[in-house]
Amino acid sequence: MRIYEYETKELFKEVGIVVPMSGLAQTPEHVREVAMKLNTPVILKPQTMLKARGKAGLIVSANYPEDAAQASKSIFGREYYGEIIDTILVEEMVDHRSELYLGVIVDYASGQPLVITSSAGGVEIEKTALEHPELLTKVSVSPSKGLSEDEATSLAKGIVGEIEQPASALVEDFKDTILSLYQLFTQYDCEMVEINPLGIKDDLSTVALDAALVVDHDALFRQPQLVRCRGLKEEDFQREKDYRDRGWTYLQMEGDIGILSSGAGITMAILDLMQAKGGRPANFLDTAQMDREGIYDAFRLFYHQRSIKTVLVNIFAGLNRCDDLAEGIRDFIKDHPLPFALVVRMVGNREEEGRSILKAIGITPISGLEEAVYQAIALTKEK
Amino acid sequence: MSILAFKETNVLIQGITGRAARHHTQNMLAYGTSIVAGSRPGAGGEEVHGVPVYDSVAEACACHRIDASVLFIPATRVKDAALEALNAGIRLLVIVAEHVPLHDAMIIMEEKKKREAVIIGPNTPGLISPPEKTMLGFVPSRYFLPGPIGVASRSGTLTYELVSRLTASGLGQATCIGVGGDRIVGLRFEEALRLFEKDIRTKAVLLIGEIGGSMEEEAAEAIQEGLFQKPVFAYFAGYTAPEGTKVGHAGAIVQGSRGSMASKVKALKGAGVMLARQPADVVNIAKKALER
Repeated sequence: MRIYEYETKELFKEVGIVVPMSGLAQTPEHVREVAMKLNTPVILKPQTMLKARGKAGLIVSANYPEDAAQASKSIFGREYYGEIIDTILVEEMVDHRSELYLGVIVDYASGQPLVITSSAGGVEIEKTALEHPELLTKVSVSPSKGLSEDEATSLAKGIVGEIEQPASALVEDFKDTILSLYQLFTQYDCEMVEINPLGIKDDLSTVALDAALVVDHDALFRQPQLVRCRGLKEEDFQREKDYRDRGWTYLQMEGDIGILSSGAGITMAILDLMQAKGGRPANFLDTAQMDREGIYDAFRLFYHQRSIKTVLVNIFAGLNRCDDLAEGIRDFIKDHPLPFALVVRMVGNREEEGRSILKAIGITPISGLEEAVYQAIALTKEK
Repeated sequence: MSILAFKETNVLIQGITGRAARHHTQNMLAYGTSIVAGSRPGAGGEEVHGVPVYDSVAEACACHRIDASVLFIPATRVKDAALEALNAGIRLLVIVAEHVPLHDAMIIMEEKKKREAVIIGPNTPGLISPPEKTMLGFVPSRYFLPGPIGVASRSGTLTYELVSRLTASGLGQATCIGVGGDRIVGLRFEEALRLFEKDIRTKAVLLIGEIGGSMEEEAAEAIQEGLFQKPVFAYFAGYTAPEGTKVGHAGAIVQGSRGSMASKVKALKGAGVMLARQPADVVNIAKKALER
């Protein structure tokens, strides 16, 4: 789960990482007030979940409060990847002589935290990583021991040596920043936290100019203070939470065939098969564990979507039982006349029992995966 | 022969008194798995389907020779349970739970490495060796048949889907491993290949992959380096999956160009792996692989 830049910077302050002076604003008038209070030239940074705002022209600077307020008028209310901009972080513009990169990430392949530093910080860091990998340093850390003082010092010396005369104050400052960032990484169950760029000021101190942090969503149960609705409407937030509690993965797409399936792999295989034959998925719901009530609730989700012409249900019952799920489908149809065509593919535990329950209500389950997918496509075309 | 799970493998079930664990214990026993003990704090002295229950893993290990443990423990508590088993000297763990917190998974895997143990999962139905009549986890055993194919898969249901087709065509399996669907898993494809390489019964290996991560690419590198000589064939899902949006740069820096379907297909083809583009192609490709 992502959190906003300003929230990340609040966490930075907690662990002693220096950030620019700033204030949040919800209106141009707020922007003006914050800029006046800061009494410096400012940068306006819209708070959005997705970054690369600068490249989208959404980050602007202003020398005077009036200009800042004026500039903010064209930013508030704009849409960025589905999110309406309603909050701007108004930040003092910090003079700095160079920009570093500093990040900590969970490396899935090695199963260890990876600290990444570079003397070439800034928006082009990904390009740098590909074209000049020698400008990046990556160090694996023991998850149980954490990052040691020595490891941090040697990282700091390496990076400082590339850009400045080895100034001991800067090495010290950078080392502390690395250690603080690592502390944050473990304390808040981060999947990733990064400072890009980390500015070096003329007095050779560092300041975190931008910040990004992703919390491991599987650890949210022990990070209650971070669980808030971010960039989401309250109802969307509640829905996401409900799905997470149920073990549902739901994705909205643009077609007209609803897909209910269990297991991410098989669900993706269905998407592949369907799209190869010209079918268009409307959405998919992948449920780890489905039972009679669960499938009933899942059907409700498709029921309320008008764009859906056909629903394809794929059950390969290993943990669960076909008869239980067939009963759930029967329950739903008893309560709701179906507005869409229904194709059920069902194999596994108690398959025969499940098939006869469905046959009794006029649904003939299919046992082949491809056959089911192609039938769903054919029925959709007829409608 | 098979790999990892054999007739003689003595198994412990951690969290054996839970509803799902009881059910799966019964299925494993029925298939032929040698379950010798269960553990659950406070339940010492009980029995589940005739299996004695102990308060701790250490107690169970004091009374039995235990080679493997299957953990039916919720993700939120799985770290302590896994460390308990590793500390008791158990060398093979199956972690069924999905959504294990990353920082817990990292601690578990570090300990695993230190103790040279093998971990299957997290987020796996487990593993099954049909020739050995041994299953660790909740794999629906009736879709499996003894035979020469090794399977390593990132997806449970996709494994059943593909393996049931192999079985229906009379193509049996030596061992099938669900390596797990979580972001950090204990046994990567490349390591599974190394194990299959050493097994005389395994004649070919099926890799069932997905978009994302870098396991498929690593496996391709290992094959190209000659670490694996047997024929490999593969099916991947996710050619048309919508791509996730990313945040921050660190992910891109670590991942580079890996993870995309194009990258996986290119890597595996380059290594001479036969790719089944659709589930229906798997049987024919399996036959070709076995002829090699």
